[in-house]
This record gives sequence, structure tokens and C-alpha cells, in this order.
Amino acid sequence: MSLLEVKDLHIWFDLERGGELHAVQGVTFELAAGERFGLVGESGCGKTTTILALMGLLPPSASVSGQVLLDGVNVLARGERSVAPHRWRDVAMVFQGAMNAFNPVKRIGEQIAEPMELHGIAEGREARRQVGELLERVGIPAERAQRFPHEFSGGMRQRAAIAMALACKPKILLADEPTTALDVMVQAQILQLLVALADDFGLALVLVTHDLPIVAQVCDRAAVMYAGEIVESGPTDALFHAPRHPYTRLLFAATPDLYGTEEVASIPGAPPRLDRTITGCPFRPRCDRAFGRCVGERPALKPVAAGQAAACHLNDVPQEVPA
Amino acid sequence: MRGIDYVVKRTVFALMTVLVAITLNFVIFRAAPGDATSSLAKCRNCTPEFREALREELGLDKPKLEQYWIYLKDLAHGDLGDSFVTRQPVWQELKQPILNTLPMVGLGYLISIVLGVLVGVVAAWRRGTFLDWGGVSTALFFYSMPQQWLGLMLLILLGGVLPASGVSDPFIDFLDPSWWEVVIDRLEHMILPAATLGLVLYGQYALIVRSSMIEALGEDYIMTARAKGLSSWGIVRKHALRTSLLPIATLVALTFGYIIGGDILVEAVFSYPGIGLATYEAVFDRDYPMLQGAFLLLTLSVILANLVADLLYFKLDPRVTG
Repeated sequence: MSLLEVKDLHIWFDLERGGELHAVQGVTFELAAGERFGLVGESGCGKTTTILALMGLLPPSASVSGQVLLDGVNVLARGERSVAPHRWRDVAMVFQGAMNAFNPVKRIGEQIAEPMELHGIAEGREARRQVGELLERVGIPAERAQRFPHEFSGGMRQRAAIAMALACKPKILLADEPTTALDVMVQAQILQLLVALADDFGLALVLVTHDLPIVAQVCDRAAVMYAGEIVESGPTDALFHAPRHPYTRLLFAATPDLYGTEEVASIPGAPPRLDRTITGCPFRPRCDRAFGRCVGERPALKPVAAGQAAACHLNDVPQEVPA
Repeated sequence: MRGIDYVVKRTVFALMTVLVAITLNFVIFRAAPGDATSSLAKCRNCTPEFREALREELGLDKPKLEQYWIYLKDLAHGDLGDSFVTRQPVWQELKQPILNTLPMVGLGYLISIVLGVLVGVVAAWRRGTFLDWGGVSTALFFYSMPQQWLGLMLLILLGGVLPASGVSDPFIDFLDPSWWEVVIDRLEHMILPAATLGLVLYGQYALIVRSSMIEALGEDYIMTARAKGLSSWGIVRKHALRTSLLPIATLVALTFGYIIGGDILVEAVFSYPGIGLATYEAVFDRDYPMLQGAFLLLTLSVILANLVADLLYFKLDPRVTG
């Protein structure tokens, strides 16, 4: 049994002007203990919405269907009551680097100790000792626990945020664009730290990003999201070298190469609007390989190779492998 | 060390404000038409000679600049002068009224802060519900009400139930009261004027607390707090309240002047013998020393309140560096 199973997750947002936005459309994936999993896609494809749903953190305007099984138990079954006890204890989160994850008027140490006390893990002196250890572990001197967030640099704040995420020794760490808004050197350090900590603590890591090289560097497996659904998933290597969905292929082609030999190709057009019903393949208007069947029939996510699945009609045409 | 600079700067600023206030105090009352003799010498048998003699005795015949100099010199010795009306030292005349006013204004403040914070927090926490709607409209209703009018309405509605004037029952001493009965009697006398001050002010506090609370609840760190497993009330209490009460610390001090102004009207309405009523009467008598004394104390208290707010803000918000 997997540590985390997400089954047919749908999320709708009520729009203020009326109508609904179908932000996540049947997302299914699994996460094994200790695994590092990437969730990739462009802005607005539903990555962040998906992981916020895992912790029950969506705003009241959202309605959710589907299952999120943590150790086989559906945490969404009874809403707030069933998900609240798992927050931070089992599933913790590192928010976007650009976000002010810390309360500006409270000391860093106090904020890291807060979930320990809340979940009855440690209190008082013992909590302070553990906070110091965690800070040291992420490369911040323990005495800095007494400092306020504005006294930290962006990179230090993100390290402290990671220390805070580890406060209750969770099984799963969700990292939402953890390196956005940090400079390249700090990005690399933070990613190294995340990988090292995931190994040390036996954490399963879900890394949400739009940055493909980061996924390649960090993750064992990844899923590519487009217009609220997973269009392809599989081992990171396979996605890179043998993509089975045109979007995956084009996405990699749109990533600049360090050695600069290949030209960067952008994908023309924009993702479809999610407040309207999509007929056929959502990627069809931007796809370079679309054909008749893509107009009327929406492709389902089907296994295409060992551990790899894709949602593309081209995979049903044996002589025409889309890569 | 963070702060010494800030404290010194704020204190010097407050002292300069005091100096300006002292001068304005002198100028304003003399700029008003008429002087003390026009009301003190308003009797059938008062001759122009009597009036001149009175002017001389009160020092009003001297050039204005000399009067100012004398005023400053006395003030430097802690002497507020003698009342024109009673010929008693101003300080002595003001002592009892101040002692009467302090607990009443304090109670009014307490009512406004407690009610304002409570209503503001609950309205923001339950945003968009009936609780929010009700809280906001009631706050707006009281906020937009003139103090003296609200005072009169309370007087009409509750004047029979609660005492309508004075600070205490004039006959209470004959009843050989226990200290507890004295306290209750005083409270009964101050509740209406205090409620008038508090009700008008609470609306403003509630609206500010609500909006800064809503802003705080939209901050990124609130999401972190939710993810950590805090309940929605826990988030309000431990994370949003602290930041959203910051503007209230300043507002409470800024509205202190408003309280003082309101205090004059409210004490007049309820015939509450405090510093407000004393000021009100001194205006009619053109009793310059009394007015100067009362206004000086009122100004000093407002400046002090602002200084305290500045220092408090500094203590509450670690990001303020001065």
C-alpha cells in the first residue's frame, strides 16, 4: 500500500460572477514512502490547488470530490475533522519562497515550536532544544531562533521554513515552488538541502514547480499537469528522454539548454479556460500532432510503458509514436 | 541597542509639542472677544471705575507680551495662577474635578476598547455572516452619532433608572455607607457619561479592528498557521490578533483628544463635575487662568497619550526601527 494515494480528485471553485471553475479534473497519483515526486506544469494548471487539497487548505469557495488516502485512510471523508489531525504531523508544507510564511511579529523559534506544542510533541525547554537542532540541521545557528523573520535573508527564511516543516517529523513534505524568488545559488542550496533531509528523515517529497530542470535534479518520478489534469506521469528519466504526450515533449523543448546548442521553442497559444466545459483533448488547440479524434474525444490517462502513463490518442496509433 | 534613539526622538518631539501648546494656550483665550471683567463686572451697580480696578487687579491692563512673560515665569515655577472667579489657586480648583473625571473617562475608554475589539474581531472572523453585518451596522450607527445627542438620549431613556447628575449621592454620607456602597454609588453616577463616551468611540475601533483583522487573515502566514493545524479561532488569537491590534494602539492615543473634547460636552449634559464641566464654566466666565490651566493639563495628557502609543507600537512591532 502506498503512503499517499490520490484518487480521481476534482476541485471546483465557485466564481463570484456566477458559474464554476473546474480547477482540478480527476487527478490520480500515488506516493511511496521516501519517494521524491514532482508535479509540473505551467501557472494555473492546478498544481498548487491539488496539494492544498491534500491538507484540506482550500478556501470555502472550493468544493472537492475524490479521495486522498493517507496510509489507506481517506482524510477528506469528514472534512476539517478528519484532515486537521494530520496537518503538520503527517503532512507538512514548505510554501513558495516568495511568501511570508512567517508571522512578522513573532520570533522564528517560537513559530517553529508552535506545531510541536500544538500536536503534543514537545514543550518548553525540550521544544526549544529541538528547534535549535532543526535550525542547525538546515544550516542556521541555533541562537538565531530568537530573531524575527525580517532579520533573515530570503534564503535563510526558506531554510527556517524547511526547519519549521520538519518540526513534527512528518512522513510527507509538500514543497510548493520552494525556490521561486531565490537567486540561483541559493536555489541550488535549498534543493540540495531538501534532498538531503528527505533522505535523512525518510521523507516522501512532493515538489511542485514549473521548473523542469529542478524536477530532473530532485525527483524520482513526476507528473505533468495541463488544464487541471495529469497528462503524463512516469519516471523522470522517461519523461525527459521518451515523452509520450506532445505537451511533455514541447515543455522540455521550451526549457533553455545550458550549452545553448538547441533553440528554445515556445508553445503557441494559452491553456483553455477552466470555467467552460472542455470537449476533446484540452491540449488540441496548441498541439502540433492533433488529428481528427482529438476534437471530439477526450483522451484518458493510460499506461504506455513500465511505470509510465499518458493521456494522448497518439499512443493508440501503433505506427505513430509521438516522441 | 535598538530603541534608545527612538525613545529620545519621540520624547524630544513630545516636549516641543508641549512648548507650542503652552503658547497657543495663552493666545487663543485672549483672542476671543471680551475679557473676564465683561462678565465679572456685569452688575447694575458696576461703574467703569470698578471695572478698571478689576482689570488692574487681575493684571489685564498690562501689555499682552508682559502678561505672556508673567504666565511663562509662573508656569516655570509650577504656578498655574489664581482663578479670576474664586481667587483660589487654579491647581486647587482643578484637583477635585480631575479626580472625578479620571475614573469616568477611564471607564468610557474601557467600554470602547473592549467592545470595539470584540465586535471587530468577531465580525472579521465571521466575515460575511449575519454577525458581521450586524456588528458593522451597529458600529456605524454609534460612530455617526453626535456625542451630546447620544448623551441626551441616554439621559431621557435611563435618567429615571440611573442617577442623571453629579458624581455621587449627596445624602450618602448620612447613611453611613460601607466602602462597597460608595463604589457602587460612584459607578452608578459615572456609567451614563462613560457609556456615552464609550459608545461613540467603540464604533470607530470596531471598524478599524475589523478591517485590519481581515487584512491580517489574508496574509501568507495565516495559511502556514492553518497548515500547522491551528483551529480557526487559534489562528485569530495567536496570529491575526497581534498584528491587527497594532493600529488600535495608535488609534486609542489619537482618539484621546476626541475623548477629552467629548468629555467637555458629556459632562455638561450630565452635570458631572469633572474637568470638562469646569472648562465649560470657565469659558463663560472668561476665567483665563482656569482655562489655561485646564487646557494645559488636557494638552499634556493628549501629548503623553501619543508618546505612550509611539513607545507601545515600538514594543509591539519588532519591525519598527525608529
